Amino acid sequence: MISVPYYSLNSFLTSKSTNLGFPNFPSPSPLNFRRNLTSSSTELAPIKANEASRMSSLKINSDESSGLIRHEVSVNGRRSENIVWHKCSVEKSDRQELLKQKGCVVWITGLSGSGKSTLACALTRGLHSRGKLTYVLDGDNVRHGLNSDLMFQPEDRVENIRRIGEVVKLFSDAGVICIASVISPYRKDRDACRAKLPEGDFIEVFMDMPLCVCEARDPKGLYKLARAGKIKGFTGVDDPYEPPLNSEIVIQQEGEVCPPPEVMAEKVISYLDAKGYLEA
Amino acid sequence: MSSAMGSPTNVFWHECAVGKGERQKLVNQQGCLVWITGLSGSGKSTLACSLNRELHSRGKLSYVLDGDNLRHGLNKNLGFSPEDRTENIRRVGEVGKLFADAGLICIASLISPYRKDRDACRALMTDANFIEAMLLSVLMNIPLDVCERRDTKGLYKLARAGKIKGFTGIDDPYEPPLNCEIKIEQKNGVCPTPCDMAAQVVSYLDGNGFLRA
Repeated sequence: MISVPYYSLNSFLTSKSTNLGFPNFPSPSPLNFRRNLTSSSTELAPIKANEASRMSSLKINSDESSGLIRHEVSVNGRRSENIVWHKCSVEKSDRQELLKQKGCVVWITGLSGSGKSTLACALTRGLHSRGKLTYVLDGDNVRHGLNSDLMFQPEDRVENIRRIGEVVKLFSDAGVICIASVISPYRKDRDACRAKLPEGDFIEVFMDMPLCVCEARDPKGLYKLARAGKIKGFTGVDDPYEPPLNSEIVIQQEGEVCPPPEVMAEKVISYLDAKGYLEA
Repeated sequence: MSSAMGSPTNVFWHECAVGKGERQKLVNQQGCLVWITGLSGSGKSTLACSLNRELHSRGKLSYVLDGDNLRHGLNKNLGFSPEDRTENIRRVGEVGKLFADAGLICIASLISPYRKDRDACRALMTDANFIEAMLLSVLMNIPLDVCERRDTKGLYKLARAGKIKGFTGIDDPYEPPLNCEIKIEQKNGVCPTPCDMAAQVVSYLDGNGFLRA
């Protein structure tokens, strides 16, 4: 039985970074809320739209007084409307204080069948048992949701990784230790994700397992299909996997024995601990 | 017969050892997505920020997904055509779902003008993996003239001058929700303060058990 520490309100009381103190909340009254659905207002009558919107280009203008910073944003070669950046007073450091950890991304890359999802699961279990908040973004799972509109041709693979990179960045900013488990075969795309995050917050874990080992496992029967020509462009068979040149962590066989999941997870956890991610 | 790798049947679902319930116990709250919708200048980002602050002061983990901010990152390859607005909302909904699953109180702040798109997000949050709907819709029911007078980003002015086309409220429709959990509106012609608005939402969250595991 794994015991999990609870975070109570009291553990937050001494946070220095919010400077909010504790306003006097009324003690919770025994209100019995139901999910009341309110009817809409008739004040906002829809107005007919014009044809396609013309994008206008606007200069950069800094307006910090209202918490808004204007940026010129270009979309597909056409300038989009003025899109401001909204600053908010709760920062990443505040959330990290609350969670007693630092948000970061553990990016697990490797061939199909190299053990990425297995490591991701063992890692999340190991971190959870230490009271850390983690979340796994599995490449396959994301392809059922956010990336359900993408397939496997090169441009879609790029977009798949780009979107995952943006999402893990959000999770990391939220203070979560986000574990991405995705083949991510192209070096350029992984490096682009690394570049989105502050130095050190992108921890690349390379599952350096030989193709023959992965293929022998073939947990989803995909290598068999690929060898039979029933799937084209399958990584490792007829699409390249570009191994990382500078991963923070490399998981390899010892001799010809693959490390068990808990041992792999411990290697990553030790790294996170040593780098200070398991504390605020 | 060969096919491209892009067959959905080759994409599997991986179950993982730590479930939503355990994460929620860890952070002592229930993950959900608070979706704030309304005209430009209606106060969505203001409410998102004050709500975020309020929740944080209560020791709750929340995160703001601001429509504008996301258009700098995840959604930077989208414009403002109807199709792109739909895709924008879809992606934010999917990310909000991930955040809610992670145990966070996720606050999405977007105009999200089309009912169909917002309803699709609600449906997304009510699939087989979720016991009950976790999308709370907050309508910023502030009149157009008030929003336009504020014109916090100078966009109404540009839209009226014809320099932006398809601007919500001017020449693109805003379709208010038919069913929302929370409605923020003026009282006797006076807009609520950011604190009051946040208190209204927090009260709802608290009363519905989201602020505990």
